[in-house]
Amino acid sequence: MTPFLSARGIVKRFPGVLANDHVDFDVNAGEIHALLGENGAGKSTLMQIVYGLYGRDAGEILIEGRPLDLRSTRDAIAAGIGMIHQEFMLVRRFSATENVVLGLKAGGALKPLDLEGPAREIAELSRRYGLQVDPAARIEHLPVGTQQRVEILKLLYRKAKLLILDEPTAVLTPGEAEALLKVLRTLADQGHAVVIVTHKLHEIMAAADRVTIMRDGRVVGSVKTAESSEAELARLMVGREVALTARRSTRPAGPSVLRVEGLTVMSDQGRSALEGLSLDLREGEILGLAGVDGNGQSELAQALTGLRTASGGRVLLGERDLTRASPAERRSAGVAYVPADRRHVGSVGALSIAENAILGDQRAYARFGLLDRKRGRSFAAGLMERFDIRPRKPDYPAGKLSGGNLQKVQLGRAIASDPRALIVEQPTRGLDVGAIEAVWAELLRLREAGKAILLISAELEEILNLSDRIAVIYEGRIMGELPAAQADLRRIGLMMAGSHGEEDGHADL
Amino acid sequence: MRIFERRAAPAEGAAAAALSTALAILAALAVGGLLFLPFGADPFSAYAALFGESFLTWRGFGFTLLKAAPLILIGLGTVVAWRTGFGFLGFEGCVMIGAAAATWVALMVREGQILAGLPFAAFLPLAILASLIAGGIWSGIVGLFKSRFGGNEVITSLMMNYVALLLVQYLVSGPLREPGGLPQSPRLPRETWLPQLFDGMRANAGILIALAAALVVWALLLRSRIGYEMVVTGLNPKAARFGGVEVGRRQFMAACLAGGLAAMAGMVEVLGLHHRLIDGMSGGVGFVGMVAALLGKLHPLGVVIASTLYAGMTVGADAMQRQAGLPSSIVFMIQSLIVLFILAGEFFRRYRLRLPGRRTASAGEGV
Ligand SMILES: Nc1ncnc2c1ncn2[C@@H]1O[C@H](COP(=O)(O)OP(=O)(O)OP(=O)(O)O)[C@@H](O)[C@H]1O
Ligand SMILES: [Mg+2]
Repeated sequence: MTPFLSARGIVKRFPGVLANDHVDFDVNAGEIHALLGENGAGKSTLMQIVYGLYGRDAGEILIEGRPLDLRSTRDAIAAGIGMIHQEFMLVRRFSATENVVLGLKAGGALKPLDLEGPAREIAELSRRYGLQVDPAARIEHLPVGTQQRVEILKLLYRKAKLLILDEPTAVLTPGEAEALLKVLRTLADQGHAVVIVTHKLHEIMAAADRVTIMRDGRVVGSVKTAESSEAELARLMVGREVALTARRSTRPAGPSVLRVEGLTVMSDQGRSALEGLSLDLREGEILGLAGVDGNGQSELAQALTGLRTASGGRVLLGERDLTRASPAERRSAGVAYVPADRRHVGSVGALSIAENAILGDQRAYARFGLLDRKRGRSFAAGLMERFDIRPRKPDYPAGKLSGGNLQKVQLGRAIASDPRALIVEQPTRGLDVGAIEAVWAELLRLREAGKAILLISAELEEILNLSDRIAVIYEGRIMGELPAAQADLRRIGLMMAGSHGEEDGHADL
Repeated sequence: MRIFERRAAPAEGAAAAALSTALAILAALAVGGLLFLPFGADPFSAYAALFGESFLTWRGFGFTLLKAAPLILIGLGTVVAWRTGFGFLGFEGCVMIGAAAATWVALMVREGQILAGLPFAAFLPLAILASLIAGGIWSGIVGLFKSRFGGNEVITSLMMNYVALLLVQYLVSGPLREPGGLPQSPRLPRETWLPQLFDGMRANAGILIALAAALVVWALLLRSRIGYEMVVTGLNPKAARFGGVEVGRRQFMAACLAGGLAAMAGMVEVLGLHHRLIDGMSGGVGFVGMVAALLGKLHPLGVVIASTLYAGMTVGADAMQRQAGLPSSIVFMIQSLIVLFILAGEFFRRYRLRLPGRRTASAGEGV
C-alpha cells in the first residue's frame, strides 16, 4: 500500500544546527502515527517542512506516491495536509463557524458572507467525528479542549486528509486528552491519516498504531506500538534505559519557609482567581499543588512572585512580610520562579541564551554598572553542560531553542540562583522523558538541600512521584491537603473536580 | 496568485542586515540617478558633485559634520526610547526646549548678568546639564503620563511638540526677545559659542559632543546592566517584570534620556550655529533624526553613520544646486528613496517573489 504521505531524505539545516538529517517518514491513511523524540530532535521542524512552513535543503515529499511541489502552506493545504500549532490560531471574539471559514475565499468581496451553509456543514462534521462543537459558540467561552477541536474542524472543513498535531495534549486536562485521542481514532477509522507529536509514552501506547522515533535529527526507528513497550520506546529515544520513578528519601520537613495566609487575587478578567487561599511551604519538602489548569495556579504563582498584586491576605518568607514587595525584592529575598509560559514570560526570544540565563540575576553580573558578559556566557555554558541544553551555544537566540531546551534554561537559571523557596509551574510540560528524569532529579536534589519547593503541575503522575504533601486546588480554593503516603489517584481526582474527596464528608484541611 | 511568498529561511543576522542596507542605498542611488537625466545631466558627475562636495572638500565636509551633529544626538535619543519600547515622537519639541535652556544659560554669561565672566570650560558643562535636564523633564512628562496613567506616548509626545514650539514662540516674542524687530533672542555672547574644530572649517565642537554621546549611549544601552534591563523591557515587558526589572521605571528613564539627548541637539544648534534662539529654528530636524535612527538600525554606531550620510547628502544637494543648477529637491527624493528601499530590503529579507518553477529547496539563499 502506498503511504498517504511519504517524506524522503529530508535535510534541514539551521545556522549551526542540522535539525533534520536525511529523514524518511511515512504516514498511511487510516493510521495514527506518533512522532517521538528528545527535545530538539527535529520533530517540529520535520512537521513544519511537511506543512510547507519551512523550506528544506534536500529531500522530497510524496503524496500518495506522487511528488508534491511544496512551496508554501497553501500547497500543503491543497494537497490535503493540515497542521495544528501548539498556540491556537483562533480569533477569540469570533464564533466557531467564523473561525472555520476565516481566510477562505467566499465568492466576491462584496457578497454578504454566507455563514448558514458553513454552520450546517460544521455541525455535520462535528457530529460525524464526535467533536461536539457548537458552531455558534464564541471561542473565548470555550475551554481549551474544545478550542482545539475547533482547530480540527478548521482542517476538516478544508478537506485535510492528513492531520498533524504538535504536542496537542500538553495543554489539555487528562479528561480532555482522552477525549481528543478518541476523536483522533474516529478520524483514522474514517480514513484520515493522523500524526501526533508527543512526549507522553502512555498516550502513544494507548492511541497510536505506529511510532517513529527521532534522535539528533535522524530517524532511529519506526515500530508498531502493538509490538513495543513504553520502556523500549524510551530506550530508542534516549539511547539508554530510563526509569521514570523518582526515588525520594524520607526526611522530616523542616520549619516553615513560605507562608500564604488568606490570599485573595483577581484574574486578568477581573474575576476572583484566589479566594482566601492558605498554604505553608516547609524547608526540605516538595508541596505538590494538583489541579486542572486554570483554577488559579498561575495567579497564585504570580502573586507569590510579585507579578500580580494581592487584594487581600499575606505572603511571608520566614518572618518577612513580602505581600507588598516587588518582584526584584522577592528574588533577592530568595523566592525563585519557573513560569509555565516559557516563551512569553520566562524568556526573551530575540536575546541569546547567555543573555537569558542572567535574566533576573543581572545585578549580580554588573561591575560598576557594566554587565560582565564574559561571566554571563561562561555561566550559560555551565548551565548548558549541566542540563544538557542543545545546541550548546551560549550565543544562540533563545527563541530558536526547542521548547524542551528552553525549559531547561529556565529551570537551570532558577536553580542556579540558589533560592530558599522555589515555585515551579508545569516544570516538565513538553519535555521528553530523559529531560523529565533530569528535571525531577534536580528538584529532588534541591529538596535534599533543604529548599522549599512548590510544585504546581497538572500532571498527576509528577505530583505523586515528587511530592511530600499534596494540596488540590479548585476554583481558587484548596480543596484538601494530604501527605503523599495517603494520596491515591481517586481521591485526588475527586478533589480536582471540586468535591472534597472524602466520602464521609470530613475534609483534611 | 500571490506575488510574494514567505522565505523559508529569512536572512537574519548582522551581515545580512548590513548587506541589504548597502544594496538598498545603491539601488536608491541607481534609480535616483535617472532623475538627473531630464536635466541633461550625467548622473555620475552629478553624484560626484554631490558626494565630492560634502565628503571630499574641507569646507563641505565641515558643513556635513555641522549638520550631522544634531541628527546624531536625536537619533541616539530615538534609539534609547524605541529600544526600551517607548514610542516617543516628541524629539522636535525637545530640540526646542534644549535650545531655549541653552540660550537662557548663555544669556546669563553676558556682561552684568550673574554668570558674567564664566570661562567656557565651566559654561559648557552647565549648558549641557541645563539642556539635558530641560529636555529630560519635557519628555519625562510624557513618560510619567505613560507609566502612571497608561497614556499613549505616541499621541502625547506629538502634542508636546506643539506645546514646545509655542513655548519658544512665546519666549522669543516676550521674555527673551531681542530689543527690536524679529521674534528671536539677543545674540549670545561670543564666549559661549562652540569653538570651530579647525580654523576655517564650519564644523564645531558639536560633532565631538555628538560622538561622545554616541559612545555613552552605546556603553549604557549595550554594555550596562541598566541598558540590558531597558532592552529586555523593549523586547518583552512581561519577561522584564519576571526578571525583576521595574518596567515603568526603565521606560521613564529612557524617556528622560531620549528627551535630554534631543535637547542637547538643540543646544548644539544654538551654541554652534545660530548663536541665538529663533522661532521655529528646529525646522523638522527632530523627525529627520528619527529617520536616521531607523536607517542606522537603532544601533548607536549605525546612527552615526546614517546621520553623517544623510547630512552629507543635504549639504551636497545645496552645492549641486549652486554649481550644476540641478534642483536640490532631487536629492531629497533620493533620500526618501533610500528610506523606502531600506524598508523594502527588510521586507525582502523575509519574503521573496513567487516565481513559477522556483523550488522550495533553494529557499535557503539570503539577500
Ligand atoms: N527557526 C529556527 N532557527 C534556528 N534553529 C532552529 C529553528 N527551529 C528549530 N531550530 C533548532 O533545530 C533543532 C530541532 O528543533 P525542533 O523544534 O524541531 O525540535 P523538537 O524535536 O520539536 O523539540 P521539542 O520536543 O523540544 O519541541 C533544535 O536544535 C532547534 O534549536
Ligand atoms: Mg517541538
